[in-house]
Amino acid sequence: MVVLSAARWLRSRLSDRFWRVQEVLKYARHFRGRKNRCYKLAVRSVRRAFVKSTKARREKKRFLRALWITRIEAASLEHGLKYPAFISNLAKSQVELNRKVLADLAIYEPKTFKSLAALAQRRRQEGFLAALGDGKEPEGIFSRIVHHH
Amino acid sequence: RYVRQLQRLQLLFSPTAADARGARQFVEEAAQDFARQHPDVVLYVSPHSGPGPAPVLRAEYLNGTVRDELIASKTSEEIVQLATKLANQSGLDIIRIRKPFHTDNPSIQGQWHPLTNKPSILTVQGPRLQPQ
Repeated sequence: MVVLSAARWLRSRLSDRFWRVQEVLKYARHFRGRKNRCYKLAVRSVRRAFVKSTKARREKKRFLRALWITRIEAASLEHGLKYPAFISNLAKSQVELNRKVLADLAIYEPKTFKSLAALAQRRRQEGFLAALGDGKEPEGIFSRIVHHH
Repeated sequence: RYVRQLQRLQLLFSPTAADARGARQFVEEAAQDFARQHPDVVLYVSPHSGPGPAPVLRAEYLNGTVRDELIASKTSEEIVQLATKLANQSGLDIIRIRKPFHTDNPSIQGQWHPLTNKPSILTVQGPRLQPQ
């Protein structure tokens, strides 16, 4: 005879419980305490770990930018310039280097960074002359702007 | 010239198992066309008689990695798609790449150390002057 559904007293039992548990525990192996072994504690910890890692992706950008700024500040202070002066004068000289690249240059290419600091310093002096001198002296060389059309 | 990183594909299945139906259909219909389209990949078909492990498509790459893909209860088209996907991969492990770049020589001018921007009298040892 054709049976469309099983009898009510027949239960289906899980056979791959081990693998379902391992799927969660594999992400908890490096945790501390019982939550790297016990499934019930691990489920909560793993879920919180995932949520934290998702949210931290936005914080990572802020954190890395602050790190770069700290490094650039330290490097420019070695050359006698403060960070706001350095960044603003580089921007005025149309040097469009971002903080990541500047930090890497400060670490791996110290001579290049020194020349960039010198450029910012020179542009700063020209800015002072232009602001205080009042129009009679010619415009500074490094204050010229290149227009790309 | 492009060198395909996939060395060989081994189709391990049982000719009587029910979930290996897709694998059997693949072998009958599409395996020859696949082998013709990918001349630098060797396709081995190894049926093992009787009840054995689940049908598996084993891909071996030139750098030694062996990748097993389950093909139980998959249709012939899905197996073709799987095989082309494996053929276009390289054997590198599929994990998160931390940085998309890598250099062996990161510094050309010399890496910064605390004495780079200090006066050279601190680092250089000149010839010792004899007491007059």
